[in-house]
Amino acid sequence: SMAVDMRLPTVKKTMTLSAPAVYRKDLVVPGDVITSDTGFMRGHGTYVDDDKLTASVAGKVQRVDKLICVRPLKTRFNGEVGDVVVGRITEVQQKRWKVDTNSRLDSVLLLSSVNLPGGELRRRSAEDELTMRKYIQEGDLISAEVQSVFSDGALSLHTRSLKYGKLGQGVLVQISPSLIKRQKTHFHNLPCGASIILGNNGFVWLYPTLGQQDEEAGGFYTSLEPVSLPDREVISRLRNCLLALAAQKVLLYDTSVLYCYESSLQHQVKDILKPEVMEEIVMLTQQKLLAQEG
Amino acid sequence: MPTDTKRVRGPDVSQSPVLLGYKPAAVLASRGPREDGRQRDQVDVRPVFVRCGLVSQAKGSAYIEAGNTKLISCVYGPRETDRKDETDMKSGRLTTDVRFAPFSCPERVPWIQGSQDKDLSLMLHESLQPAVCLQRYPRSQIDVSVMVLENSGSALAHAVTCASLALADAGIEMYDLVLGCSLQQVGSSYVVDPSYLEENGWRCNSSESRGGLTVAFLPSLNQISGLQSDGEMSEETLTAGVRTCIEGCYKLYPVIQKVLTKAVRRAAPPST
Amino acid sequence: MATVQVSEAEKVYILHGIRDDLRVDGRGCEDYRHMEIETDVVSNTDGSAKVTLGHTAVLVGVKAEIGKPRPMIPNEGYLEFFVDCSANATPEFEGRGGEELGTNLSNVLYKVFSNKHSLDLHSLSISPGEHCWVLYVDVLLLQCDGNLYDAISIAIKAALFNTKIPRVNITSDDEGGKEIELSDDPYDCMRVNVENVPCIVTLCKVGHRHVVDATLQEKACSVASLIIAVTHNGTITCSRKVGGGSLDPESIFEMTETGKRVGKALHAPLMKLLQQEESLSKKRVRVGFLC
Repeated sequence: SMAVDMRLPTVKKTMTLSAPAVYRKDLVVPGDVITSDTGFMRGHGTYVDDDKLTASVAGKVQRVDKLICVRPLKTRFNGEVGDVVVGRITEVQQKRWKVDTNSRLDSVLLLSSVNLPGGELRRRSAEDELTMRKYIQEGDLISAEVQSVFSDGALSLHTRSLKYGKLGQGVLVQISPSLIKRQKTHFHNLPCGASIILGNNGFVWLYPTLGQQDEEAGGFYTSLEPVSLPDREVISRLRNCLLALAAQKVLLYDTSVLYCYESSLQHQVKDILKPEVMEEIVMLTQQKLLAQEG
Repeated sequence: MPTDTKRVRGPDVSQSPVLLGYKPAAVLASRGPREDGRQRDQVDVRPVFVRCGLVSQAKGSAYIEAGNTKLISCVYGPRETDRKDETDMKSGRLTTDVRFAPFSCPERVPWIQGSQDKDLSLMLHESLQPAVCLQRYPRSQIDVSVMVLENSGSALAHAVTCASLALADAGIEMYDLVLGCSLQQVGSSYVVDPSYLEENGWRCNSSESRGGLTVAFLPSLNQISGLQSDGEMSEETLTAGVRTCIEGCYKLYPVIQKVLTKAVRRAAPPST
Repeated sequence: MATVQVSEAEKVYILHGIRDDLRVDGRGCEDYRHMEIETDVVSNTDGSAKVTLGHTAVLVGVKAEIGKPRPMIPNEGYLEFFVDCSANATPEFEGRGGEELGTNLSNVLYKVFSNKHSLDLHSLSISPGEHCWVLYVDVLLLQCDGNLYDAISIAIKAALFNTKIPRVNITSDDEGGKEIELSDDPYDCMRVNVENVPCIVTLCKVGHRHVVDATLQEKACSVASLIIAVTHNGTITCSRKVGGGSLDPESIFEMTETGKRVGKALHAPLMKLLQQEESLSKKRVRVGFLC
């Protein structure tokens, strides 16, 4: 029962139902003059040359009152306080964990920002470092919230809520942070039978929806019981849908993911990533999204 | 191209006179008895002569002789690792190095390690690694080197056996010994523990298909830690070949065990 | 090799999925990812091909040059392999790491072709003992997303299929000296028969089962793999255990069986695609590096 799909490559195009990517004034490349008006203030991604405010990065111009910035289109995650992130532990240090959150610098999870079972855990000796490792160790995935931003830009995280904590069985999908739509909540139990954490940092976590007794994804004990086959199929389908949406630059939020899932149902999970299937289901998704808005 | 300045190099292009009088037809018959009188199609390995601890400067060492194939292996370490950039410091690192002496083969081998030797080093590494308890040696490095003094065939297989003996002699913790065995398939017939001619004579021989196979085996755990084949073989001959090589390893096992116990007894302090 | 990290719980999830024959991306244990193949992608070669498999991308160029036959085999030409793992493909290839992997890969390729039938080396002879064709097969890894061996072997077969060696004539002058003359007609070319060129299948042992075309995540859950080079009629021209762990004999036999079956099945669709591409020739829009 071996399957291989070999073919000649075709030129791929991003499809979109909205306005075609014609000339847009708010998009600039380095060297473009944004304004010659001296009344503006110089923000990130700009410099002043001969009294003209000029872009220094490729991106989108943003104005806030008198301040002009250029937000780079392609960037690592620039976290803000309150953002939900999914990250991977890279190092266990004294009193803190280092976390890869797709940011320029590794983020930090302080021991004091974690509610561990059995009350406070303070690191006094090498023994405590072992205890820290017992809860979260290198390679583990966590969900957390940005608590503050250090002066060098590194993020300080906290998991002081039942919904945050160590992640168990599931699938991580890494996507550009710019494709994650900001919403009131980034945790969803999707009606198709799986749950999703859409991290603001572009790390998306798919996992089986847990029973009533331990509803939160967080905590520090992870079940290693086998996940049922139907649940796996839903999760794999969602994973491929997320990648298809991202390939066509569609914003990710619960509704777009769900519409894409529904559009994909006539295809086998493993076929979703074939170019023509991908185009078809993303097209259907965009039509559904437009119909809902209209 | 790196050069070894400490050695006088021969002319860039020179040829051994042996090659001039080379008669391909006489090289290898695929039927009849083998050159050294051993049996075809049977697990007829050459008797081995093995000794531990010949190199006093090394932590552990071993010497093996099978026919005219002669190898010496040394183990140094465990010592603190060279590589500080390695992220995984929880387990030790094993390095392997296989070299052929320039006079080891009929044609002179250059001193500079070629890609062939690198390939053998890699094969040796993969064959030994599963047997060594590397997690017992965090932040440390164990270096294994093998020098082929004379190559009369099956060098890789004997290098595996010799190196695992040297590791055991060095007192490195291991799950099991690792034994090596090679086989050469010519048409429907095979020879175990092939000689140099049996290994390399195929190019000039008849149209019969040929294959070479080397297996590294952990005898008491029944695990294959190294496997390599080339030439042309069907699935059935390959599978049968692997079984034959395992049998060859079991033939070697008691000899190797005996040598090790002898080495241990010799090293033991006198009982009081 | 590019590596990824996987937590213990992710590992368990991947392992159980493979046990149930449903991998994270929806594939079964013996399914390949989507594969795209194009030949004749770079102009300064006599043959070339680009293969993408998932996000793994490999470019192979073949150059034919005239050299001197090896003394032991005067009536045959030969192949030279070089695999370049540039830091382009992944930052881990910077410095020595890439060099080592490149040597390993090219050593395996020499083994795969070291037999009488993979490629007819007699056809590369020009004049015995004096001149022969040397085919330089240069492999460039553009992107690494697991399963390098399989992608490389398919790209090599495609590039050799695409290779056009100019025809040469040997003329002898009055004094008995020989001269090589290149044919005036640029379309007067010799093709290489690739029928017996093997494809490599990498079988990755994960838990108690094995998968083909493993992703980097699956590879991170595996202790050892078996690579096996198989021709269209099922002959095995090279097999090798790779990775730090060991395998019990029974699973080696099972993996050999799967490898042979899968490897055999790769050739027909590949040849069909290559012939289809050639028949389209100029009508087809070339994609090259734009996808």
